[in-house]
Amino acid sequence: MVLTHTTNHTYSHPFPTVTLAFFLRYCSPQLNPFASHVLSTDTISSHLDPDTGRLHTTRIHLKKSRLPPAVMKLLPASLTGGTSDKASYILETSIVDMREGWMATESRNLNFVGVLSVVERQLYAMPKAPHAQRAADNSTDVETRVVFRSRLGERIRDRLGQAQAQAEAAASDSGGGFFARLGARGIQRSIETLASTKTQDQLGKSREGMRIILERLRQTGIMGVLELRKMASQRGPEAAAH
Amino acid sequence: MSQSLAPECNEIKERYDTCFLKWYSEKYLRGIGTTDNNECAGLFKEYSTCLQGALKERGIDKLLEEAREDNKENDTALMGKKKCKLSETRGLRQR
Repeated sequence: MVLTHTTNHTYSHPFPTVTLAFFLRYCSPQLNPFASHVLSTDTISSHLDPDTGRLHTTRIHLKKSRLPPAVMKLLPASLTGGTSDKASYILETSIVDMREGWMATESRNLNFVGVLSVVERQLYAMPKAPHAQRAADNSTDVETRVVFRSRLGERIRDRLGQAQAQAEAAASDSGGGFFARLGARGIQRSIETLASTKTQDQLGKSREGMRIILERLRQTGIMGVLELRKMASQRGPEAAAH
Repeated sequence: MSQSLAPECNEIKERYDTCFLKWYSEKYLRGIGTTDNNECAGLFKEYSTCLQGALKERGIDKLLEEAREDNKENDTALMGKKKCKLSETRGLRQR
């Protein structure tokens, strides 16, 4: 079962600045108030292809709220591990091609992939339409495509094998018995739908965050942003005021 | 401030990030030094070494492997579409 959601958006900022904002978007809650759910960000690889001039980057983010609360409610605690540990690792890969003027990004969750896999792909590019040639210097189009996939049940069957699954179901209320009662298909669909609704809300916030960073870059440039980031890391807003 | 997932790597992460962002905005985006970002390579190596242990300890290295295995099938289906889009973009860009 798969659910796909596609949106288009145009930032009124030049393409290079938008790509910079992409790398900066989780760098500080002072810079992006919509990033307070991001607990950590690490770069695990960064590589510039000498032939194409493309920059390939892989990062791992740790984000709060691994699954929408409504999804959590649908699942037995034995599967979600209760509600205390509400964070998930996100793998982000990106390719920037400055010569051709595009950036392709992909983000996917690393935890609970068997319950719900969310893969978000974005393509940033300078406007393509001929009448937009003048606007190309000042705006950037982005297409966002999110694919939701729940393989609940399928996964469990794969992993345990038929006989074992039956033994498991007999032994515990929350294993196979849970799926038998509610029907894995129905749950898969519910999870995908609920997650999709939540993601549509979050896409708005993520755009809002990008807009704030873009505005900051327009006002102070990258050096101003780096300075703010440094001050914020040293100690809160009081330090930034001095 | 965005932290490293491993607190012991915060300082080197910070230095690498600053280096990368400067290189990216001042050189890469302006088309200078497009051969390599080796000015940050030393810092990255140090940062990477620090991070390796933490990735293992938290089982993230395994999650990464699983993600790669898990998504091979999806990739062939979805990357096909993306490639089309990209080549379309490229075609239009050649004025």
